[in-house]
Amino acid sequence: MEEKIKKHNSSWQDGIAKNITFIVTKDCQLACKYCYLVGKNTKERMSWEVAKQAIDYILDNEEDFKEDSVIWDFIGGEPFLEIELIDKICDYIKVELYRRNHHWFNSYRFSFSTNGINYHTDKVQDFIKKNREHLSIGITIDGTQQKHDLNRIWKTPEMEQGIAPQPQEERGSYDDVVRNIPLWLEQFPGAGTKVTISSADIPYICESVLHLYSLGIHEVNINCVFEDVWKEGDDTLFEAQLMQLADAIIDGEYYKEYSCSFFTENMGKPMDCVYENTNWCGAGKMLSIDAAGNFYPCTRFAQYSLRDKKAWIIGNVNDGIDKNKLRPFFTLDRCTQSTQECIDCEVAGGCAWCQGENYDAADTPTIYQRATAICKMHKARVRANNYYWNKLYRKLELEGIAQEKAIEHTKMSDNKNNC
Amino acid sequence: MLQYLIIQLDDTSTSYCHYTNIRNEKRLISLDDLRAGILWAMKENLMIQYVLPDYELPAEYIEEMESIDNSKIVSSHSTMINNADVIVLNGWEKGFTFRENGIYVLRITKDSLFAYSEEIKMVLPAVTRLNIVITDVETFTDADCETYKIVLESFAKEVEKLYVAGKSPQLNLLTDRMMLDKMNNCNAGYESITLAPDGCFYVCPAFYLANEDDDFGLGKSKYNVGNLIDGLDIKNPQLYRLDHAPICRHCDAYQCKRCVWLNRKTTYEVNTPSREQCVVAHIERNVAAQLLTSIRTYGEFLPERNGIEVLECLDPFEKANKW
Ligand code: SF4
Ligand code: SF4
Repeated sequence: MEEKIKKHNSSWQDGIAKNITFIVTKDCQLACKYCYLVGKNTKERMSWEVAKQAIDYILDNEEDFKEDSVIWDFIGGEPFLEIELIDKICDYIKVELYRRNHHWFNSYRFSFSTNGINYHTDKVQDFIKKNREHLSIGITIDGTQQKHDLNRIWKTPEMEQGIAPQPQEERGSYDDVVRNIPLWLEQFPGAGTKVTISSADIPYICESVLHLYSLGIHEVNINCVFEDVWKEGDDTLFEAQLMQLADAIIDGEYYKEYSCSFFTENMGKPMDCVYENTNWCGAGKMLSIDAAGNFYPCTRFAQYSLRDKKAWIIGNVNDGIDKNKLRPFFTLDRCTQSTQECIDCEVAGGCAWCQGENYDAADTPTIYQRATAICKMHKARVRANNYYWNKLYRKLELEGIAQEKAIEHTKMSDNKNNC
Repeated sequence: MLQYLIIQLDDTSTSYCHYTNIRNEKRLISLDDLRAGILWAMKENLMIQYVLPDYELPAEYIEEMESIDNSKIVSSHSTMINNADVIVLNGWEKGFTFRENGIYVLRITKDSLFAYSEEIKMVLPAVTRLNIVITDVETFTDADCETYKIVLESFAKEVEKLYVAGKSPQLNLLTDRMMLDKMNNCNAGYESITLAPDGCFYVCPAFYLANEDDDFGLGKSKYNVGNLIDGLDIKNPQLYRLDHAPICRHCDAYQCKRCVWLNRKTTYEVNTPSREQCVVAHIERNVAAQLLTSIRTYGEFLPERNGIEVLECLDPFEKANKW
C-alpha cells in the first residue's frame, strides 16, 4: 500500500555530510517582512580573502572534518547577488580538493537557498551549467500570489534608511520569482521549496500548498517558526487548515506524486529518555562563516539572526575553531534541555526545536533551555497528521478491497467463460 | 540542595579558588546586609563560610559574625590569620611557616607548581590538609600535562611514604579520589551560594569579582542570582546540578572541582567543562589510582573501597558517542 504514497525525498547525504555555510552577503533585493525586521538591512559582503582563508583552514585541518562528504552552503541575504564571488569560491574549492587529494573530492555539493529573482541571469545560469552535477538549489515561494506578495516585497531606498513603506508603495515579488520556476524545475526536476509558517500565514496554508503543487513543485517542506509568535486560537485554526489540506491531498490524490512535510508518519508518539535521547538540531555539527571571518555553530548563532543574545562565536579564520566552544553542542541531548512536561509528553515524537532559537529565547545564555512556544502548534499538527494517515490508509484499504473484488470478479467471469 | 552560604565580606577578601581577585579598594559589606545574610542562612539552614579581607575587621562585625557557627577563610597575610579555619596562600611563599594541624589552600600557577614541587611536597607531613588550586588550568598544553603527571607522581611517592609511616596526609589532588565514592565537586550554584558586599547573591565569588565589562563571549561574565531583599533567584538552576552536566555525570574523577566559572569561561556553558579541565582532573585520578594500589601492597587499606582502574582516555567527552 505504501508504494502508492510519494515518499519525502531526504536531502543529499542527509545527516552524514558536513554542512559548511558561507554567509556571503547580508544584502537582498527584497525586504520580507518576517526577515527584514531582524536586521538584515546591512550590506556586509564577504571578501574573497576571508572566503579563501576559511577554505584553507577547513582543508588544512582535514582530520577535524572527518565526515564522508560536504555540503558547501551559500546563504544571504540573497546569495546570488554575490554570484561572482561564489563562482570563485567554488572553483577554488574544486581545485584545492583535487590538488590535496582530499577525501571530499567527488563527494561535495554546493547548495543555495535563493529568492529566485536572479535565477535566469547569465551569470547564474553559467554557474549552474558549470556545476550542474554538484548542485542543489531551493527557491522560496510562499504560496499563492496574494500570500507571497503580502510578505515578500521589494526593498525601497527608503527602507534602506530604516523607513517602512506605505502599504500602497509595497511591491510584491511573486511575478519576478514565478517566471523562473519552469526553468528551475527543468534543471532540477525533483527540487522542493521551503515554506515557513507564522501566525498570519495560517489561513493560507491549504491554498498555498496546493498552489505550489500547481506550479509543478512536488515537494513542499513546510514548518512553523519556532519563535514565540503564536496567538490565542492559532492552534485551532492551524489544525483546521491542516485537515482541509489533508482532505484536498487525499481527495485529489496528490499523495501519489506530491509530498508535504506537515504529514509525516510515525510522529506524535511518546519518547524514551534513554533510547530516544538525541538532539534534534544539527547546530555544532555544522559550521557557518560570516563576512568578518567569524565561525559559528550554525547561522542562527550569528548576530544578525539573534534578537536578544550575543553572537555565539566559536573561532575565526585566523585562530581556527576553539573546540572547547563546541563541546556543549556535541553533548547536548534531548532530555537534558527539556522541561519535565516535554519529557513526559505523550506526543513528543516529531516535536522539533531550533538550538539557535532556544538560545535566543533562554533565560540565561545557554543552549540547554528548550523553547516551547511551538508546543500547542505541534499538538495541533499531530491531531491533523493522525487524521491524514487514518483517512489515507482507509481510502487505500477500501480501494485495495475494491480492486481485489474486481480481480475476483474478473476471474469468476473468466472461469465462467472457460466452462 | 543548598547547604552553604559563603559571605564575601569585602571586595578585597582573598580568593580561595580558581578566580583571581585583583580588587584593591576596600568595600566592606554593610552591617545590615551581614546581619540579613546570617539571618537568611539560619532560616535556610545553611552553614556559613566567611571569606575575609587582610585588614582588621571592626569589632561590631566580629561580634555579628560570631553570632552563628561558621568557618573562616583568610589569606596568609591577613591580620586575622589566628582565627582562620582555612588559610590561603596566593602563590608559593618561600619561608612561610605552616601551622601543624592547619588546613591550607595553595593557589598557584602551573609554572610555579612545577618549579616549587619539591618544596611543596615537604608541606604534606606538616599540615592536616593541603588543597592545591591551579589558577591557570585552562592554559594546560600537552607538555604541561606530561610535567603535571611527573609532579603528581612525586607527590604520590611522598604520600605513600607518609601512609607507610602511619600518618594520614591529605592532598586534595590525590587523596580525595582515594576516599570518595561519588562526586565531590564545588557545586557552586547548587550546594553553595555567595553573598557579596553589594547585598546580592552570586553563584560564587568569581561571578561577583568579574569587572562590569568583562565578557567571555555571550555577554557579561558578572551576573547575580538574586539579592537579600527579593531573595534568591537562580535562572536555569538545573544547569548547576551534576545530573544536568552531560559530560560530568558520566565521569568518575570524583575529586574534580567541576568549576562552573571556568566552564562558563572556556565553553560558554556552566555545565560543560573544557578539555583542559577534564584532562588535568584525569591525570590526578590516574595517579590517585596508582597510589591506592601502591599503598595496598603494604597491607589492608580502605578495604571497603574498590580499586580504581587507570583510564587511557583522559577526556570523557571523547566517549560521548558511546553514552
Ligand atoms: S565555581 Fe567553584 S570551583 Fe569554580 S571558582 Fe567558583 S568556587 Fe571555585
Ligand atoms: S573531569 Fe571533566 S567530566 Fe569529570 S567531573 Fe571534572 S570536569 Fe566533569
